[in-house]
Amino acid sequence: MNNRWERVSLSQEESERIFRKARSFAGDVWFRFRRKPTALLGLILALLMVLFGLIGPFMTPYNYSQQETKLANIPPLMTVYPGPDDSYFFVTEALKVIEVDPEGHLVRQLRKKEDDAKHKQTSFKYDDDTSVVLDYSIKPYVMLDEYGQRIEQGVRKWNASHLLGTDHLGRDILTRLMYGARISLMVAFIAATVNMLIGILYGGVSGYLGGRTDAIMMRVVDIIATIPLTLYVILIKVCLDDGLISIIVALSSVYWVDMARVVRGQVLSLKNQEFVLAARTIGSSTKNILLRHLIPNAMGPILVTVTMLIPSAIFMEAFMSFIGIGIAPPMASLGTMCNDATEALRTNPYQLFLPAIAICIIMFAFNFIGDGLRDALDPKLKK
Amino acid sequence: MEPILEIRDLNTSFLTSSGEVQAVRGVSFKVEKGQTIGIVGESGSGKSVTSLSILKLLGSTGRIKSGSIRLHGEELIGKTRKEMRQIRGRRIAMIFQDPMTSLNPLIPVGEQVGEMIWAHDKSISKEERRARVLELFEMVRIPEPVKRLKSFPHEFSGGMRQRVMIAMALACKPELLIADEPTTALDASIQDQILKLMQQLQHEIDMSILFITHDLGVVAELCTHVLVMYGGLIMEEAGIDDIFERPMHPYTMGLLDSIPGLHQDKSQLLKPIPGSPPDMIHPPKGCPFAPRCSYACRVCLEELPPYRQVSERHRSMCWMLAPDAPSEGNPFKGIGSKGAVI
Amino acid sequence: MNKDVPVLRVQDLTKHFPAGRGKVVHAVDNVSFQIPRGKTFGLVGESGCGKSTCARTIIRIYEPTGGKVYLGHDDISILSQKELLPHRQRMQMIFQDPYASLNARMTVHDIIAEPLRAHGVFASRQEESERVNDMLAQVGLNREHASRYAHEFSGGQRQRVGIARALIIHPELVICDEPISALDVSIQAQIVNMLRKFQQEQALTYLFIAHDLSMVRYVSDEVGVMYLGQLVETCAADEIYATPLHPYTQGLLAAIPIPDPKVAREKRAAGLEGDLPSPIDPPSGCRFHTRCPHATERCKAEVPSLKDVGAGHCVACHLIND
Repeated sequence: MNNRWERVSLSQEESERIFRKARSFAGDVWFRFRRKPTALLGLILALLMVLFGLIGPFMTPYNYSQQETKLANIPPLMTVYPGPDDSYFFVTEALKVIEVDPEGHLVRQLRKKEDDAKHKQTSFKYDDDTSVVLDYSIKPYVMLDEYGQRIEQGVRKWNASHLLGTDHLGRDILTRLMYGARISLMVAFIAATVNMLIGILYGGVSGYLGGRTDAIMMRVVDIIATIPLTLYVILIKVCLDDGLISIIVALSSVYWVDMARVVRGQVLSLKNQEFVLAARTIGSSTKNILLRHLIPNAMGPILVTVTMLIPSAIFMEAFMSFIGIGIAPPMASLGTMCNDATEALRTNPYQLFLPAIAICIIMFAFNFIGDGLRDALDPKLKK
Repeated sequence: MEPILEIRDLNTSFLTSSGEVQAVRGVSFKVEKGQTIGIVGESGSGKSVTSLSILKLLGSTGRIKSGSIRLHGEELIGKTRKEMRQIRGRRIAMIFQDPMTSLNPLIPVGEQVGEMIWAHDKSISKEERRARVLELFEMVRIPEPVKRLKSFPHEFSGGMRQRVMIAMALACKPELLIADEPTTALDASIQDQILKLMQQLQHEIDMSILFITHDLGVVAELCTHVLVMYGGLIMEEAGIDDIFERPMHPYTMGLLDSIPGLHQDKSQLLKPIPGSPPDMIHPPKGCPFAPRCSYACRVCLEELPPYRQVSERHRSMCWMLAPDAPSEGNPFKGIGSKGAVI
Repeated sequence: MNKDVPVLRVQDLTKHFPAGRGKVVHAVDNVSFQIPRGKTFGLVGESGCGKSTCARTIIRIYEPTGGKVYLGHDDISILSQKELLPHRQRMQMIFQDPYASLNARMTVHDIIAEPLRAHGVFASRQEESERVNDMLAQVGLNREHASRYAHEFSGGQRQRVGIARALIIHPELVICDEPISALDVSIQAQIVNMLRKFQQEQALTYLFIAHDLSMVRYVSDEVGVMYLGQLVETCAADEIYATPLHPYTQGLLAAIPIPDPKVAREKRAAGLEGDLPSPIDPPSGCRFHTRCPHATERCKAEVPSLKDVGAGHCVACHLIND
């Protein structure tokens, strides 16, 4: 330690060193975002739904419009009767008998052999030697084997061919859910993006220019906002053709009102901050001030509004499809699926619950993300 | 004499998204009766955190990690919220930089001060309370106090609001008043008025004051003792005259040098302290001031210097005061040998 | 350029803001001063006295209500914002708050390069980069700092970035709007020294706004004291402390806390009583009469004008002018 009194002179560089880890704004937000479990859950759910909608359709052997009426209304959890050779039988609503293998795959429909109207019995041919009999003289019907012996109502089996069952036209519900999620998310994302762009432009210009321009532009927004959104969307839909494009147009032309208000408020409060004044004294163009200073700094509330806008767009799309002015059949959307299922609600409630649950998950996911983002972007929590 | 407040080895940290900010790293000092102690330091020196730690007003992210805070020998660390509420206001009062945030904008100020009295002594009648508030308003020299009782905070100017805050702080006759930069947000002429008021109050009421500020001029006007803080540590503690006449720490010397007096020679450059204050997420291993100190030796960067007693109630934390420190280029040549480690 | 023409000449500059219900905030009223090349004019006063508004009106963040602003030979107060654009290179501003004055979403490089880009100084990124790095070095930062975001810097470092941004296009006039009041004492001296260094090297002209009188005296050649939107006294910087004439200036000086306990104990000269009146409906006559210890009837009725009492020392006070 003989050099402990050696003079050290620190270079300028050393005394100006920054220890703090370089972290961009996005990095900072992500850091706070991921510390909130619900937000993270929301993000994971949303990603899963997106994957479900995007990749799912490639993984299933079915198509959203592929019908097989004989296999209509088969639930995901079937009640089956044991038959010969380890096989099982499932009786459909239309009293058709379908053979089910031990794993739960639907193998084939049994050919009708004889219809005994007098005894109210129909016999179905299993193979050349054996057949099964459906006795509908009593309610509920019973299955008899070829000797007239009653087959005990047996096991419940998971439908391996249609994991979530089929709808009233025999279409695979899982596949339709995938397409439905895809449509819903696509509509929502496109609508949100278009709304964001219109809202940022409109609100940004209105807030930045201020004065009379702002007053006029905001009155226009107020007028649009007084018309109930639903009514407005329906009116637009009525004027346009059915289909995906028109629903996107309808949603995009309405929801930007909220966004414009958010952006305007942000711009109004930001434009008197010193960094914006600095840009003005420097001589930056209005375009640059808007695009490089105001909007990037207003991005936080904009993002929150967008993520909150996605679930409402999804809901609106589902609602319109549900009341029949949305996506045209046979295209699947979560809303049309719910609509289709209402008729059979009493007998086949699963057909309604499944798309309803999908809507719920998407809405929850995006609301959680929005909540998390809001907290992560809240300047009050910074420090 | 038993000190009113004794703080020993206080360590306070804040948890932030970038890491743990070690705001206070072992602070010890005493406040005795009738003293006005100034804590001087720059932003991030830990001066405010020290005062907030005393009343445990650290918010959700702050933690007192270790140390002891004794009020008349009574340990405050470990007290429950309810117990702390009994101490706050009644025994230790605090005023802040921004009085607007401490006042409820919807309630007349007279009522707010009255509530303060009521909260700590419920036996006082309404009339007595009003009389007491009036007395307090007169004490802090609010003009037209009767009329002002019913005014709302926004009807007051910044200086008047700070007077209301002082009235509120004095409501329960606390033993100790903590003033956290009470004049920083005010203009020079208003700051002068408030400082004069505090000087007068010092004489009128028997109360110790802990005055936190970054302004050495304010300290010179008001305080009897000064603690100079830097990097979460007390660098130097001394009586008011000693600090200005015989500073025993390069940081204090640098601070004094960097203010242009009214007689500063304009042809000469100011003598700033180079560099920037340390990042308290990664506090330096040795003396926190070493990276900016023109006297720094290798040992300064590696080891924290011990406190040395320079004279009675004048201690400083600097390696240059060590007996074996080189005399060449030593600002404290000759004094070093006297300083005993404490 | 002619050396005798002041870089900035402000004539009867007035700025009023509407305060609703037909009322008007008299933020700046008939302010006139000029700054010769290479000199510093210090503008002091308490918050609300209109010194920042005055600066912002000069640089046309606010549109003036009346009066003229000459930048060299050009009257810039009559130009439209668009016509003003080429003149903006000639005057730049350094702001008070080192946190709010830098865009948090931009890197330091982009912040400093903004004036270059706005005026299309360099065509190639390479040249621009070199200039930015050179500027960074001049304010004591380095290349590595260029890619960082402003929030990673300390207050003093940020203010230096602000200085680099203002000086990179070689302006003639730099308006420093309280550039040091938000900084720590030890950092203030760094910034002031840096501003002085640049002034000497580039013959810059400063309009320096502050409320800290001792700092203003130190940096300025000439000082103007503002009260409620009006200049009440202007004179050489040293004189304002040696022989302050206006009662407001005297009171303001008495209010400065002096970092010397011995002087402080003896001082105790009367500071200023009372609060600043509202700039909506300012007091009649001399605006200071409500707080002035020497006020007479005349002060309440008649507005004093800024008169030269000798050697360029101007005061607006009836008591002095007679």
